[in-house]
Amino acid sequence: MAESEADVAVIGGGPAGLHAALVLARGGLSVVLLDESDTLGGQYYKRRTDQLTAAFGDFRPRGTELIHRVRAAGVVVRTGTLVWGAEDAGRTLFTSDVRTGALGRITTRATLAATGAYERSLPFPGWTLPGVVTPGFALHLATMDRVPVGQRVVLAGTGPFLLPVACALLEVGARIEALVELNHPYRPSTSAIGGALRQPARLAEAARYLLTLARHGVGVEQGARVLAAHGDTQVTAVDIGQEDGGVRQLETDALCVGFGFRPSTELPRLLGCDTRADPTGTEQLPVVDADGATSVDGLYVAGDCAGIAGVHAAGVRGQLAAHAILRRLAPERAPVRLSGLRRRARALDRFAELADRLYPLPTTADIPDATQVCRCEGVSAGEIREAAATGWNDLHGTKAATRAGMGPCQGRECGHIVAALTGRNESWAECFAARMPIRPLPMAATVEGQDVP
Amino acid sequence: MSPNSLPETVTVTIDGTPGEAWAGQSVTAVLVAAGIWPLRRNPVNGQLRGPFCGMGVCLECEVTINGRPGSRSCTAHVAEGMDIRTHTEPLPTAAHG
Ligand SMILES: Cc1cc2nc3c(=O)[nH]c(=O)nc-3n(C[C@H](O)[C@H](O)[C@H](O)COP(=O)(O)OP(=O)(O)OC[C@H]3O[C@@H](n4cnc5c(N)ncnc54)[C@H](O)[C@@H]3O)c2cc1C
Ligand code: FES
Repeated sequence: MAESEADVAVIGGGPAGLHAALVLARGGLSVVLLDESDTLGGQYYKRRTDQLTAAFGDFRPRGTELIHRVRAAGVVVRTGTLVWGAEDAGRTLFTSDVRTGALGRITTRATLAATGAYERSLPFPGWTLPGVVTPGFALHLATMDRVPVGQRVVLAGTGPFLLPVACALLEVGARIEALVELNHPYRPSTSAIGGALRQPARLAEAARYLLTLARHGVGVEQGARVLAAHGDTQVTAVDIGQEDGGVRQLETDALCVGFGFRPSTELPRLLGCDTRADPTGTEQLPVVDADGATSVDGLYVAGDCAGIAGVHAAGVRGQLAAHAILRRLAPERAPVRLSGLRRRARALDRFAELADRLYPLPTTADIPDATQVCRCEGVSAGEIREAAATGWNDLHGTKAATRAGMGPCQGRECGHIVAALTGRNESWAECFAARMPIRPLPMAATVEGQDVP
Repeated sequence: MSPNSLPETVTVTIDGTPGEAWAGQSVTAVLVAAGIWPLRRNPVNGQLRGPFCGMGVCLECEVTINGRPGSRSCTAHVAEGMDIRTHTEPLPTAAHG
């Protein structure tokens, strides 16, 4: 097993990890930046492959520049490296090379987890049909690969993310059959507008998307939702429940449904840091101070994995965490004034809270019993409810009784739904325990890894 | 940077049928562009499944790439001569017949 050392390990090369690594390396510390994908950038500064960049241009030049500065500052970049476990308060990290399965161990003096987020899906009848996808997948195909997810596409769910996805689809020539938003964010109350006006850039961004959509004759249908997807071998039609109680059916080649993002908190939870329920009540977020320090000494978290707040907040939070680590490991360096960064972080947090209010999630109570919740093990909402109702089955008992969350995705898709369906106490969000390895490991690693402690 | 020309193409084989793809595209993108959505069967209930999350989380997009089963097509990129095999038996659709 390959062993290495660094002052600081940053896990995740998205906006949070990149900004943090830059500050840390410029502060004179040795930094290793680890990312399981084969390029840096995370979800926002995703990279087109070189061949597609040559033909279609750089998708996010600001990300390219940031990555360039990170490398130039001397950060040791290890892409294609999964961190699948950790111990000693994050001072020992277990890695695996995504391609070869080769195992490694990294020893550090402090660790920053900047592992980002997953998309949040909610089950409905037909959501396992091929052709039903997350909006992120459609965006990825359109922007990275220049492929429309379908000629005719229905987009649904809730959250501001649906707008850029719709625009990206139009750009690659797809027709939007319907854009269905569960809530009513686009005629907000005056108090919400007051909050948004403090973030004029974000407001302008949303306005730009809405304008593009209007120019293409795409309206946002608010207060409506997908009830079911139909098809034999792949999706061909979608039922949309309208605000007035009516249902209409649309033919479509692809259905994209998403309900915002869920923080990816396995690593900090694995290390046992204190957690609290997130605003949806189905996730456990690491408790952090204003700099991203957790209750585990030497372990910091920043970006979407500490709570969904978007790309700008991720960058600012990454810098604040890096300064805190610098103060800890290199206190002799001149103090930096951080009041500007702190103010920005607070303002961006308020904006994220506003988004949470504008795009509330639907209740899980109306998920029909027959609907599959756990895609991997094919467990239905009814089976989960029944298990939970036996009186002693909490979330973990339900998992054992039904196998929900035990499949290859390890509950990453369904965990929050199983938690909501089994939840007894609204103020305490349970979630599946984080276990090593936090992602499936290549078989080669498992065999070689027999001597891993 | 301004776009100059269309990307170079590579030849890949999907379930034995050769076809063209842009170099650097994800394997899911090539499959979607070819209209091939079902990629495998759920081992528990036999239902057809296709790519869902596009970011390596759901594992619904697994195919065999160059003989390696269980390869996530959403995080793999095509290269010249790549052999891609889906696992939708016993109901192969016309698209990959
Ligand atoms: C699918 C998707 C698409 C999105 N698209 C947009 C968009 O177009 N516009 C927008 O404004 N916002 C978008 N977002 C929101 C976006 O997550 C945030 O705005 C921003 O990217 C958060 O930055 P981050 O650094 O916290 O995390 P991310 O950018 O998510 O980066 C996290 C990184 O950590 C890596 N990682 C995670 N776990 C491990 C591990 N165990 N070992 C090694 N590496 C690991 C991941 O590979 C990833 O590169 C998207 C989110 C998702 C999930
Ligand atoms: S589509 Fe989910 S893992 Fe590939």
